[in-house]
Amino acid sequence: MLQITDLVKSYNNGEPVLKGLNLATDERRLTAIIGSSGAGKSTLLRCINRLVTADSGRIELDGINILELHGKRLQDTRRQIGMIFQAYNLVDRLTVMENVLSGRLGYVGTLRGVLRRFPQSDIDRAYALLKRVGLSQYVNTRCDSLSGGERQRVGVARALMQNPRILLADEPTASLDPKTSERIMELISRITDELDLPVLINLHNVPQARDYADRIVGLRYGVIVFDGGPQDLTDDWLEKIYAGHEDDLKKQMKVAGEDGANE
Amino acid sequence: MSDSTVHYRWKRPHFIETPYIRYGLLALAAIYLIFALSTLRVNPQRIVEGIPRAINMFRGAVPPDFESRGGLIVRGFIESIQMTLIATAAGVALSVPIAFMAARNIAILPIYAVGRMIVVVARSLHPVVLGVLFVSAVGFGAFAGILTLIMYTLGFVGKLLAEAIEEIKYGQVEGVRATGAGFFATLAYAVFPQVLPRLIGLSIYQLDINLRASAIVGLVGAGGIGATLNTAFGRYDYATASAILLVMIGIILVAEGISGRLRGLTK
Amino acid sequence: MSTHSTTSSNKAVGDHFRWARYSTKERVARSLGYLVVGVLLYWSLSTVDVFWPWVWDAPAQIGDMMFRMFPVSFVQLNPILFALVESINIAVLGTIVAVFMALPIAYLGAQTVTPSKLTLWLARFIIVATRSVDTLIWALVFVAIIGPGPVAGILAIAFRSIGFLSKLLAEAIEEIDWGPVEAMQAAGASRAHVITYAIVPQVVPSFWAITILRWDINIRESTVLGLVGAGGIGLIFQGAIDMFRWNTVSLVLIVIVLVVFAGELVTGVVRRKLM
Repeated sequence: MLQITDLVKSYNNGEPVLKGLNLATDERRLTAIIGSSGAGKSTLLRCINRLVTADSGRIELDGINILELHGKRLQDTRRQIGMIFQAYNLVDRLTVMENVLSGRLGYVGTLRGVLRRFPQSDIDRAYALLKRVGLSQYVNTRCDSLSGGERQRVGVARALMQNPRILLADEPTASLDPKTSERIMELISRITDELDLPVLINLHNVPQARDYADRIVGLRYGVIVFDGGPQDLTDDWLEKIYAGHEDDLKKQMKVAGEDGANE
Repeated sequence: MSDSTVHYRWKRPHFIETPYIRYGLLALAAIYLIFALSTLRVNPQRIVEGIPRAINMFRGAVPPDFESRGGLIVRGFIESIQMTLIATAAGVALSVPIAFMAARNIAILPIYAVGRMIVVVARSLHPVVLGVLFVSAVGFGAFAGILTLIMYTLGFVGKLLAEAIEEIKYGQVEGVRATGAGFFATLAYAVFPQVLPRLIGLSIYQLDINLRASAIVGLVGAGGIGATLNTAFGRYDYATASAILLVMIGIILVAEGISGRLRGLTK
Repeated sequence: MSTHSTTSSNKAVGDHFRWARYSTKERVARSLGYLVVGVLLYWSLSTVDVFWPWVWDAPAQIGDMMFRMFPVSFVQLNPILFALVESINIAVLGTIVAVFMALPIAYLGAQTVTPSKLTLWLARFIIVATRSVDTLIWALVFVAIIGPGPVAGILAIAFRSIGFLSKLLAEAIEEIDWGPVEAMQAAGASRAHVITYAIVPQVVPSFWAITILRWDINIRESTVLGLVGAGGIGLIFQGAIDMFRWNTVSLVLIVIVLVVFAGELVTGVVRRKLM
């Protein structure tokens, strides 16, 4: 379903961040991407929905090369790809409901979107999703009065509002405290399981990747060095993925609930 | 996952929740707007007549004529710059004592009231209003302009400097006072050093705004390039007027750049 | 400028210490600064076209004028108040017109969202051109085009304000958090949707603060438009001056001060509410 071939990306003509990367997902399962900071995890996800433009290669979603799309067709493809951000990226001064409904903007016409006149089916779906993520009491609350965990729940609901074919999550728990982080991971894994939705998730927390992922991809300097199930990810492999970044690894090995591991 | 039997209703919450207040305020705003628009005496005929006039004016203004009144233009700008420099220096010098008077944490109440009043009056009156007053008191020319810009400076620098004085750290004042320093020694050693950077920044900024103001006080006879511009307009010499405007924009932009650079240096 | 470095200038000479506030380099820079200021001032004072005997006479003249202003005469109170309302209307309407024109220009003039280099430069040109020409000069132009009256004043206020509002608003747009914009783009939203959902909500507080600030300035500016025939209280002021009715002039001045002061109070209250 998603097929990435020979993907190359460099910023400002510097050393490439992604060096001819190949990756395919077509099973309905949660794929975790791990690697030290600077390995290219974020760039990879942002290339997929074109928040950054790749230099060369192909990214095919159901056979359509995303890298060649423009304008309306790009918007149509983007709405099939949901994304959850590390910094939530909610509009603080809008209500929870408006933020969730904004996930439908790829579907509704310009005037309807601007005037907040969404179809009844969208509103029903938004209520159902808010109930599912446990925020139905906050429908008309402004997002700037929510806690970090609550914001990320809104972020999850907004991404699912798109009715996506695939979900991308860029370190969705990195800004949260360990306990909340664990809850959000649980939510993402359960809800995508219910919806039978494939997920590509960047994680900086190796134990979480082991707990929740069906498949783990290890990225190192823009190249995939590991690809397998969580049971295959031995400590030897971890050392290889994080070689030269041992401090990073140590930090990332911290298990939820440990003292003050609040990043 | 959507529950197909139950439909939810959602409307974007209003900025003002109470409908009475919301519609009341809207109605008030509408009434005011209708009233304000109804007081305008729009004369459509005059506007239609104005269109060829505007075209004429524009034709006259392009190309701008820097040559035929070149001497007058240069003299006008030099006078504006002189007025700006003198008025800024004198105005800033006068602003310091007045700012101390208008700072509640320094001055006793009667002095504060006087200082505050000077600042409020100087700030409220547009430089052109001040210009008219000074022209009728001391006659046409650069001197009236200088007095105007001094008052303008008093209002601006005086107010902001007084605010800076009110925000000083009091510990330093107590420290100096504890050494047995008197009132003026305390001002000089504990208060003034804390607001000096602000004063210098304000002065440079004021130089920039005074230059802008110096260009318009001339429209009411208070010297500088504004007087030259007024004459050009009065004689329907739009080519010279547009030349003056272009030079004015250029000088203002350059002054703004220099003033910004200098303020950056003093930080 | 406030580096209190004393190390280089504190040298022991024999049994004595020498102390100086600034190092040699700082002192040279400072002296140069003073010299430039001094020379400029000397040049200005010595060449400016001022008839000095009048200067020495000025305190007496100004005192005389102020003396004549009292007691304040209330004979003209009604026309003054009418003209005052007109001035305020000019300020409000001019600000409203300017706001509507400034919105698209601010969008085009914000480096992060403008569609192309061409639109950016176009917007910047409009901003510079309208900002650098004073309200009174705009008023002269509009009075010449559409004739005297408050409409010319409204247009003058509006044109001067467009650049001011657009510049500050464009800066506010450049400073928004880019995350929500990316989130909307990632959801497949169109440009119009990105603007209404991610940009507008973020700049709304700055928008009101900037508009109120300009309105406050425009109240002051509208008091002088009458001097060139563009409506408002300036006309009565000029009339009273021309007729040497100093007791009326003083009333006009008092009214202006009160209105500007009231405007500042309103602005302060609104700004605190917005925060």
